[in-house]
Amino acid sequence: MREIVEKFTRPLTAEEKRTGEIEQSRGPDTFTDTAENLHRMFLEKRYTDFLPIVLPTPERVEDMLKGTSHEPDEIVGKMSPTQTGTYFKDWTYTVRDVAVNAVMAGCKPEYFPLLLAVASTGKEAISVSDNSFVGALVINGAIRDEIGLNSKVGAMGPYAHANTTIGRAWSLMSINLGNCGKVGTTYMGVVGNPMNLINIVIAENEEESPWAPFSVRKGFRKGENIVSLFEGWGVLSAANWKAASWGKEMDYPKIIKDIFDQQGFLFGACAILSPPIAQFIRNAGYDTVEEFEKYLEPAPQFPMGKMAPPEAKPVGEGRAKAAPKAEMPPMMGGFSNTAIIVTGGTNNNYYSIGGLRYGRSVKIDDWR
Amino acid sequence: MKWHKSAVLIALLCLGLFCTYSALDGRAAAAAEEKVTVLNPLGTPPPITLKQMAPRLDTLEGKTIYLVDDGFIGGDNLLYEIQDWFKANHPGTTTVFKRKGGGGFDAEDPELWAEMKEKADGIIIALGH
Repeated sequence: MREIVEKFTRPLTAEEKRTGEIEQSRGPDTFTDTAENLHRMFLEKRYTDFLPIVLPTPERVEDMLKGTSHEPDEIVGKMSPTQTGTYFKDWTYTVRDVAVNAVMAGCKPEYFPLLLAVASTGKEAISVSDNSFVGALVINGAIRDEIGLNSKVGAMGPYAHANTTIGRAWSLMSINLGNCGKVGTTYMGVVGNPMNLINIVIAENEEESPWAPFSVRKGFRKGENIVSLFEGWGVLSAANWKAASWGKEMDYPKIIKDIFDQQGFLFGACAILSPPIAQFIRNAGYDTVEEFEKYLEPAPQFPMGKMAPPEAKPVGEGRAKAAPKAEMPPMMGGFSNTAIIVTGGTNNNYYSIGGLRYGRSVKIDDWR
Repeated sequence: MKWHKSAVLIALLCLGLFCTYSALDGRAAAAAEEKVTVLNPLGTPPPITLKQMAPRLDTLEGKTIYLVDDGFIGGDNLLYEIQDWFKANHPGTTTVFKRKGGGGFDAEDPELWAEMKEKADGIIIALGH
């Protein structure tokens, strides 16, 4: 407290009185050195995720640029370590800048429109938040098979080139195009998140899902190439929850509801279902995802957006714990943060649960 | 004689291997020294606008300090503790607790801003958790 009082009354220093603008430079357009030295320099400048990268030579970047008809100097978007336009100032980037990071991640040119679509949203995969969030992409449409995204056994893991490198590219883009992931300044995740390395890339198993694809539920045509972006704490096997104990006759809707009730909806609750689990739920009477989501959502405990009364509480011991339940902190929003995605194999009845909040969906073909 | 022939053959083989290795090693060394050009992976950072900090107070005696909770969980707990501290240690300072309005913890509250501009000498905003 004495420090706070001192800040109130200590005269401003010359540094604190400074005004004006400081220009920031991104440095030279190119670097020339031996491959070994360049790898070391990229590591030291924190241009990487600490794993070896593919050096972005002009030839490789030129190849990547063949994946789109957009001009290399076109501005794709802007990004910062939290949602754009809020706490940090946005960095901007071109089609070429995105291509450089795509090369570094090991992507193929045919993945490039998808990466540009993601970049166009300005959504970072590595948030500054102390929550240790991870980004997630859900991909629908014919592009899934066109570029070899895995939507069967091992769908969310690093078992296909496209899933792995696209997810990695999103993190490298966040680091280099959005100034994310610098511990202590632009990254404050308390315990961190190993999923940030390749994020969560989900190609939906549309054929074996009993429901409409996620993108169709968001208003797009079936078959249209769409990428939907999410953010949250990530996912892990539903078997991890106490509520998910095995029984003779599994009531999957009830089990999932019990898990959702345990974890809450603050930053989104999601269920990544294998096709058999989705089919069980469908057979239990949930003909649409919307019906199932309605069942999963708890009754609102707080009026949406309702602010606490502005008056002070009485002074006294224990008052800090006495906040009435009606005082919903305004940042908590509503409860419509569920996401049900179907992906993976049919070789057993497993599924994952976690916290992922839907952000937006964009058309991939706009970036071909 | 047979023995001599074998020895010469082995010596020649070793020499051949040595020469091949040296050549490969030389080529690898040359490749390692070869210069490569790569593109800068960074986006374009914006200029930083410096804002002068608010003028400081000469004293807290007789001044009004607003304690503003932005709604983030637990911020009010901290501010009430601060309010207690002021009452005990700076009885001549008036503190006013307010919870910021708006649709989210990062949203603007023009009414509160106007009120504080008029009535507050100083503001402490808590980002709780």
